[in-house]
Amino acid sequence: MKRRRGKFPWFAYLVVILGAVAMVMPFLDMVMSSFKGAGEYGVIPYKLLPESFNLDNYKEAFSQLELPRLFKNSVIVTVSVTISVLVTSSMAGYALAKLRFRGRAVIFRFILATMMLPPFLLLIPTFLIMLNWPLAGGNDILGRGGDGGLTTSLISLILPFTVSGFGIFLMRQFMVSLPDEMLEAAKIDGANQWQTWRLIVLPQTKPVAITLGLITFIGTWNEYIWTLLISSSDPDLQTLPVGIQLLQSFLDPDRTMPIVMAGLVISTLPVLVVFLIFQKYYVRGVVLSGLK
Amino acid sequence: MTTAVSKAGAGHTVAAPVSRPGKLHREGRAAYLFLSPALLFFCIFLILPFMFAIVLAFSNWGGFDLGTMKWSGIANFKEVLSFDGTFVKPILVNTLLFAFGAVFMATFGSVLVAYCIDRLSFQGFWRVLYFLPVVATVVAIGNVWKMMYQPAGLINAVLNKLGVNSVGFLSDASYALPSVTVVHAWASIGGAVLILTAGLKAIPDMYYEAAEMDGANSWHMFWSITLPLLRPALLFVLITQFIGGLQSFALIIVMTGDGGPVNATNVAAFEMYQRAFKYGAWGTASAMAMVLFVIILAITLLQLWVARRRGEETS
Repeated sequence: MKRRRGKFPWFAYLVVILGAVAMVMPFLDMVMSSFKGAGEYGVIPYKLLPESFNLDNYKEAFSQLELPRLFKNSVIVTVSVTISVLVTSSMAGYALAKLRFRGRAVIFRFILATMMLPPFLLLIPTFLIMLNWPLAGGNDILGRGGDGGLTTSLISLILPFTVSGFGIFLMRQFMVSLPDEMLEAAKIDGANQWQTWRLIVLPQTKPVAITLGLITFIGTWNEYIWTLLISSSDPDLQTLPVGIQLLQSFLDPDRTMPIVMAGLVISTLPVLVVFLIFQKYYVRGVVLSGLK
Repeated sequence: MTTAVSKAGAGHTVAAPVSRPGKLHREGRAAYLFLSPALLFFCIFLILPFMFAIVLAFSNWGGFDLGTMKWSGIANFKEVLSFDGTFVKPILVNTLLFAFGAVFMATFGSVLVAYCIDRLSFQGFWRVLYFLPVVATVVAIGNVWKMMYQPAGLINAVLNKLGVNSVGFLSDASYALPSVTVVHAWASIGGAVLILTAGLKAIPDMYYEAAEMDGANSWHMFWSITLPLLRPALLFVLITQFIGGLQSFALIIVMTGDGGPVNATNVAAFEMYQRAFKYGAWGTASAMAMVLFVIILAITLLQLWVARRRGEETS
């Protein structure tokens, strides 16, 4: 289809290409710096390309940053949160889309409203709640007496993200359009609600589940503030972004920056690959959220 | 069981008469079972902390023992909003400059880019390129730009080539805030481009064809067709970007560490974070959070109100 919305494609090409260079250049600089050898970084005049593709920074990143440990934490947290968000969103979405019950409109509106509360507002109280979690980390039933409560375990990085209001909304919007006849047929065959959800509805939601899973995966992998806070007293809980950022505080910057860049390349790659493979679904999720 | 059924029968006498009194009730019970994880979560991680945040803002508490918490009325707000402190000026002013600056740059840039992309082939390819910063972690974005802003970095190298002296982007107090704002805008253009291109796609071609027949040029078409019809998408972009800009501080931590030089890049959410987790002043920090929350709410409502009034005038 040819779109004829006024002319000037040369100008459009100029704008879009210049902008694209500005978008890609920092990432190119990141990759190139990660290969720069000792004495090549922080020198004037600046050179984009390294003299040779030196892998020392990557080796250093693995030993100094303890990349395997950070990677493991990142994977555990991201996978747990993603699975949990998918399950809870599709359950709640099913109830809101296909079941009739008292208070449905109120609960749906409440879930929409939850998306409006900015995260920074809940940061302090949520931290205090994790700290005083009953029967965790030595706490008594009233949440007192222990040292750290839930904040000493990876659970504290997972639990506050297990349900997503946006996820429920996305699932509900998708499930509304599933034909009622299909669900009726399952019920006539004697399926209960759980079986209907599990065997009939769930397989149908694959496209929206990929979208939601991807958005959750990328968001969780990149999460920074909460993890920084929780791991401030326990480095064992650091994930990739936090571990890489904190390395800099106790090393010489000219020496560290190339190592940090190597770590960042490694931590960005999984997200980038996943995004490029599934970008169609990710893009759809962002667009859907903008056009509600 | 019998009591449950009769209760349901009583509740639904109007909606579901004689036929099957238990059916709706069973469906209702199933619905609440399906919703229970989500509702339980929202109680513990949303309602409870929200209430707690309000209580904290009005209390005086420094330690970890809830028993030592004292009600202090509006003392925290008085302290936070006093003009002798640093919160109103420079911190709140920084927050607004950061958010308004970033939203202005990102919106202007994304409208321009989306409008241009809409004319090219390989649109998906271009959108993905602009979307890369959205997918990257703030630690990557912050550090790469920190590196590029250094005296020996890429941007100063380009400036020097053009005959301009090196600029201490992050070390000079008068450049630090704009420098960080640019990065925030850069990182948020991709999401906006995406929503705006979707909005552009929804505008039917026939409007442009009609305008072309009337001899309108590109500029006319943009002002009288594209911009008015793009308004819903634009409004969404503006509101979400404002909300994001006013509360973001991860980039500040990564790029300037402590909001320096001398508070030049300190923003409200970061000051709240510092007060709470560096000094343990839960009350003051929560009062700051509340002030910022009210500002976000006010700006959002104002935008919605302006958009609605504008809509009434033109239609």
